[in-house]
Amino acid sequence: MLEIITSPISFFILLSLFFVGGIGSLFFLKNDKYANGWGSFFAIAGSLWGLIFSITAILTKSSLLFDLKTSVFSLFTLSFHIDLLSSFFVFVVSLIVLFCSIYGVGYIKHYYKKYNIGALGFFYNIFIASVILVVTSSNALFFLIFWEIMAVTSYFLIVYEKNDQDNVKAGFLYLVMTYIGTAFIILAFLLLFKYIGSFDFLVIKENIALVPAFIKNIIFVSAFIGFGLKAGIIPLHIWLPAAHPAAPSYVSAILSGVMIKTGIYMMVRLFLDILSPAPYWWGLVILVVGSISSLLGVLYALTEHDIKRLLAYHSIENIGIILLGLGSALTFYSLNLPALALLGLGAALFHTLNHAIFKALLFLSAGSVISQVHTRNMEEYGGLIKYMPQTAFFFLIGSIAISALPPFNGFFSEWLTYQALFQGINQMQFVTQWIFILAAGSLVFTGGLALACFVKAFAATFLARPRSEEVKHAKESPFSMRLGMGALALLTLLFGVFSGYVISLINTVSQSLSIFKNSASAVNISSNQSMTVSDGFSSISGMFIFLLLVVATFLVIFVFKKVINKTQKECKTNTWDCGTDLTPRAEITATGFSRSIILIFKGLLKPTIQNNIEYYDDQNRYLPKSRTITLSISNIYNTYFYQPIHIVINKLSVKAKTIQNGNIDLYITYIFVALMLALLVIL
Amino acid sequence: MNLLTLQFLSEIVLLSVVFLLIMKKNVSAVYTYALQSLVVVIILLNSFFETKDLWMLLVILVMLIVKVIVAPKFFISLIKKYALSFSVSTYLNTPITLIVIAVLIFIAHSQKFVPLTSIVSDHQMLLSLALSSMFLSLFLIVNRKGALSQIIGILSFENSIVMFAVFAELEQSASLQLGIIFNIFIWIMIASIFISMLYKHFGTLNVSSMKKLKD
Repeated sequence: MLEIITSPISFFILLSLFFVGGIGSLFFLKNDKYANGWGSFFAIAGSLWGLIFSITAILTKSSLLFDLKTSVFSLFTLSFHIDLLSSFFVFVVSLIVLFCSIYGVGYIKHYYKKYNIGALGFFYNIFIASVILVVTSSNALFFLIFWEIMAVTSYFLIVYEKNDQDNVKAGFLYLVMTYIGTAFIILAFLLLFKYIGSFDFLVIKENIALVPAFIKNIIFVSAFIGFGLKAGIIPLHIWLPAAHPAAPSYVSAILSGVMIKTGIYMMVRLFLDILSPAPYWWGLVILVVGSISSLLGVLYALTEHDIKRLLAYHSIENIGIILLGLGSALTFYSLNLPALALLGLGAALFHTLNHAIFKALLFLSAGSVISQVHTRNMEEYGGLIKYMPQTAFFFLIGSIAISALPPFNGFFSEWLTYQALFQGINQMQFVTQWIFILAAGSLVFTGGLALACFVKAFAATFLARPRSEEVKHAKESPFSMRLGMGALALLTLLFGVFSGYVISLINTVSQSLSIFKNSASAVNISSNQSMTVSDGFSSISGMFIFLLLVVATFLVIFVFKKVINKTQKECKTNTWDCGTDLTPRAEITATGFSRSIILIFKGLLKPTIQNNIEYYDDQNRYLPKSRTITLSISNIYNTYFYQPIHIVINKLSVKAKTIQNGNIDLYITYIFVALMLALLVIL
Repeated sequence: MNLLTLQFLSEIVLLSVVFLLIMKKNVSAVYTYALQSLVVVIILLNSFFETKDLWMLLVILVMLIVKVIVAPKFFISLIKKYALSFSVSTYLNTPITLIVIAVLIFIAHSQKFVPLTSIVSDHQMLLSLALSSMFLSLFLIVNRKGALSQIIGILSFENSIVMFAVFAELEQSASLQLGIIFNIFIWIMIASIFISMLYKHFGTLNVSSMKKLKD
């Protein structure tokens, strides 16, 4: 039975469920209800099948290798290699898609009679199928085809709410950036083909020694830019905060939780598997980029008052944290420290999984709020906990998890990342040691700032008083939306409490890579599921922390209820308001909350503050009527990176335009001259 | 047919291209093209007498009909319809055109192109002449401003390629050749339609007046 589940047929059933879901949705273009039902049903069925398929593959440690040969060209052999690493990513994709699709059943109803539900079902299902194909394909050519399908379908999902011009612009930016990334990826694959003569990943891996070291470095840089762009590393991230918020919220959850991880998957696949052995400096570059991305990502998140943009910036931060694990793994492996490399890779993979879960949860909660309040601006929220208590609870759990507080999952993967960095500080020499120290320092800052950011996000959204009329009309989300969020909230807890068991499975996945064959990880899992790093350097137990917190909570409640409150009389009265009416204007805003932190980092963030004062009497400026402070962050990437590139390309384009002057004879002359030159060169 | 005769025929083809480059009247250009095609047909006929392949004869007959009779007829009717008795000017004047012709013929006969012209060692001179015709035909397309002259340039280029292929013994199967001729036939018809449309739109067939096309 297990063999059938992990067979090629089972894999094709998985894909066909999404294709049937996608194509079938198009038949219900005129019936929103049926289109929603059909598309969501097959997405849920497909993701459930994906979960069964991937879990079985990981537990039975089975690897699947098969191809569909085309009769004409051997180069175009569609081959799949679903090893444990691929299965792990199929698991991550399926898990998130399952709950997002359940959530989507309720969410999509907001689009009835406004947008085409059949088209949404089509692009959504094909997008999911393409993500699965990306992480399972073993041929560079077909990988690129699936990569493009993923890019195009996600583009249509981003511009789905096409009546909003900002979404269309965001989609265009995404499309342009993704094609720049693809160009770099193609360059990397073509260089590999030049020296190896094959697009098959397994053949490339076996013959990687044929590639000169210098070319390998070029391939690394190209691939890192190409896949880093998809992952959203700084400074290639500009599309991400624009595109992710534009999509429907449950799609945003998948874009942020899953799609950007395909970049991480390919980095692991290429740098640790196909291109190994890797030079020493590759890992250090990844560590530096990871540190910058995590720190700047969270700082930019702090400056945001658009709830979905805030979450999108946190994706950049978390990608940075994942890169810290990956970078340390690569550095350790190149220094022949496989046990520590396994620790770093385990941290990266665990955070990949955890981030997918809590980020999806946060996007779904944000989506529920947006669907009720009809704005993404947090300054217009406030007091939603009274109207949407369950959503508030789920958002709080997501916030705790992303802030890396125990006993939720985010804490444990960040703890492992810290351990990998500490081991680097412990084992490395001067320059490398300092890079590890700075990476650990950046992670410390990131953790603290993330907590501050989510205090802001939760408080500004759910606490205090409503700051707009829309909030007062908000209602709790439908059952399917709450089910999707609730399941993910539960998973953040379970993956934290049982982190020892999850890490032991991730170790199995990591050890399946050929470079780690017969290597033991520096993380040991004891029988009580506690994790110990490097024979007692440090240890932790998710279960113990959970039990401790439960006991502490009950103890505190008991002490308050039975000891302290026993002697005190409970009295309910109004809050003291200095003799004035308490209004939302008295509340601290999201912008106000983050202002002090922004000013600390003003050297990096370059904030601009604009004060506007309106007086009762313009001639006699003693009595101000209102004061407005606008705090904004200048886009330094646009100013110092993209604008100069844009100017240079523009100038070159204007010069190049003279070649195309509309004269047919001149065009034929080009052909003639090119032909003559080609003949003279060849002969 | 001996080599000398073949060389003579090749020289007629080359001279016909030179004539196409310097003549002014469109009607003369069409007749020159018909003559050039007839010479190519004769060269192919020589190939038939050597191989005795009946399919080849069919190819030659179709070629004769399409290139020597139908295509010129099409062009003559176009010239009459739009009163295109004189072709539009060239980019280079006649003396410079003659210099370029000399340079191109020199390049085709140069040592650099020996690997190409010595595919069949006995036919080196013939192949050099065919290559010269190809270069001059391309130059004809480039140098002429009139759309009709350019179309004739393309067809002349095609004739030169056929001649080169015959001398290089690169003849393909009869079915492929028939396909190519059929393509050319269709192409001539489409080109004629386009010429009519361009004339109606721009009132001239001078391609330098069609710059707005790029916008």
